[in-house]
Amino acid sequence: MGLIGDTTTLVLRELLIFKKNLRVNLIRSLIFPIIFVLLLGSFGSSPKNIPVALVNYDNGAIALNFINTIQLGNGVKIVSQTTQQAAMVLLSEGKVAAVVVIPNGFSSGVERTVHVYLDNSQPQSASVASATVNAAAAKMGATSSSASLPGGSRGLVSVVSNYVYGASSNYLSFVVGGILVMVASFGAVFTSGFTLLSDRELGNLKAFLTTPINKFSILLSKIAYGTFQSILSAYIGLAIGLLYGATIAAGVVGFLELIWIVFLVGLGFSALAIALAARMKQLQTYALVAQTLTLPLSFLAGAFVPVNLLPSFLLPVATVNPLYYAINAVRDIMIKGFLPINTLLTTSLILLTFTGIMMFLAYIFFKNTSNNL
Amino acid sequence: MSDYAIEIEDLVKQFDKLVAVNNLNLNIKRGEIFGLLGPNGAGKSTTISMILGLLQPTSGRVLVNGVDMKRYPEKARNEIGIVTQETVVESELTAEQNLMIFGRLYHIPPSELKKDIDFALELSDLTNFRHAYAGTFSGGMKRRLETAKSLMHAPKVLLLDEPTTGLDIQNRTKIWNLLRQINKEQNITILLTTQYLEESDQLCDRIGIIDHGKLIALGTPSELRQKIGMSNIIEISAEKESLQKIATIFRKVGLDPQVLNNKVLAPGGNNATEKIERLLKELSNSKIKIQNISMHEPTIDDVFLKLTGSEVRDTTGEFTSARGGMLVRRR
Repeated sequence: MGLIGDTTTLVLRELLIFKKNLRVNLIRSLIFPIIFVLLLGSFGSSPKNIPVALVNYDNGAIALNFINTIQLGNGVKIVSQTTQQAAMVLLSEGKVAAVVVIPNGFSSGVERTVHVYLDNSQPQSASVASATVNAAAAKMGATSSSASLPGGSRGLVSVVSNYVYGASSNYLSFVVGGILVMVASFGAVFTSGFTLLSDRELGNLKAFLTTPINKFSILLSKIAYGTFQSILSAYIGLAIGLLYGATIAAGVVGFLELIWIVFLVGLGFSALAIALAARMKQLQTYALVAQTLTLPLSFLAGAFVPVNLLPSFLLPVATVNPLYYAINAVRDIMIKGFLPINTLLTTSLILLTFTGIMMFLAYIFFKNTSNNL
Repeated sequence: MSDYAIEIEDLVKQFDKLVAVNNLNLNIKRGEIFGLLGPNGAGKSTTISMILGLLQPTSGRVLVNGVDMKRYPEKARNEIGIVTQETVVESELTAEQNLMIFGRLYHIPPSELKKDIDFALELSDLTNFRHAYAGTFSGGMKRRLETAKSLMHAPKVLLLDEPTTGLDIQNRTKIWNLLRQINKEQNITILLTTQYLEESDQLCDRIGIIDHGKLIALGTPSELRQKIGMSNIIEISAEKESLQKIATIFRKVGLDPQVLNNKVLAPGGNNATEKIERLLKELSNSKIKIQNISMHEPTIDDVFLKLTGSEVRDTTGEFTSARGGMLVRRR
């Protein structure tokens, strides 16, 4: 039988128990995503009819087409069509959230860069305006650049977007992407570590260790079960998000890519959970540690607000946080609609390395524990 | 092949300052039912854990059927079945699922698994509860299921850590019968720990008494009974000041008293009832107030008092199990 056979048996056991408590398990997997999607999703739900000032230096048909495209879907509303100078005044007064400048020669193809000036004191509106213009630009095959006003006055901030948001981009997709990864990590941490400790408290662990199985199969089964729960929680979260209006810009391929990312998060965080739980004796201690660890990690990964809004001293934390990379990849898939192969590889590598380190620690700690039960 | 099912050689286990098992030497013969007796904290559970390879000895070694547990744990574990103190059956699995999972963990070939499950269910008298969740079972049913579970892989040795603690008399008798049956029919060596002299007396071929991690007595139940004079124990509890006076009266009526914290006790001998009458008479004559007087069959505590001269201590070094704190000693 060996390691794989033993692991299969122990996973089978977890699944039988899971099936017995199916209703409770599903409800538990539902509650968390529902609360977060509904609360946070509504909280920043995409503003509509954001006032935008338009400066059109081109009078060609393509420019008009572009203007029409921008206004599709009611994301933004062009409230004024004026000179650049007047538009910038409106922006500084807060009467519009963005100024869109179509250059001369846009229709003829001489100059295709659309400039967008954003007021970042209203980040939600700014991001939607920027996203809408970008999307329209992408559709038209033009490039757009979000730029700053040289020597800009107060309130006018240059926004160099990290993301070229997709056509249907909204804050909901942004939040659902974050929640997806967060519930995946929660699912892992609150399943694998918890069941390991409850098995220890109930004596099941001892019973397993008296059988001639490979000890490591106990860890592997917990990690596998944690990963399973992660994927389940994440997909329940995703389903709720989609029902509520979020979208996956990358379509079916994106759906598969999401499974992969969530799988890696589940794997890594299940291993982390086991590494934490292996030395502990009490469920309460573990619950405390798990809670104080997972929630801040999600926040620091930008699950709810973009990482660049974090105070600067916290930025290094984000870069060593595996969830940060996972969330970025998920947002590429859900919002940008395209996950560059480089990002996919780097993210996978980072999460797999994280998993490897955690599994190693779990193995060392557990070996010690299992010799002194 | 050695003649012994379990050989314990110079076994030592030290936790920080506490020496839980102190140079223990003990051989369990093939085919016998052996009872390991001792109070909480004597080192019973620690010894069992080391036999099972759950705990690494500080020094010394354990051989199971001649196989060194430390060097070949997987091989040695295949020779042992274990019924633990905590009754480990999975409440959220059915009786059948419980057996199936453990059968697989013991690497029973899939082709034989079904047959083995049927046999185990029959053995534990649970065939009708095959699909019932173990969580709905009574304590006795759980214990039987666990015992059957531990026999699935046809071990040569069965270890039972306090198998009947907390069970009612029907279930206790059922477990005893089950153990006798498997010992006789399948020639399985049984090592059990217990706190009940009565149990070891009924069941065991030989008894070892362990205290402070050392073996302090070894022999058949009748040998040990002779050692303590297996008569009823008379016990009087009273205020501390009057204990010595009561002891004097014990001697007056021909008893050999032992004075403890809050009581005086002595084996009653052949005519214990008559002695109680005389005791009460003497006590009322000397106007000594007592709180309680009782007579009971000797328990492991009494064997201990005889052998060690001290009252049974409560948990000191023993592993505290999830239920450990709740276990109530009978006396």
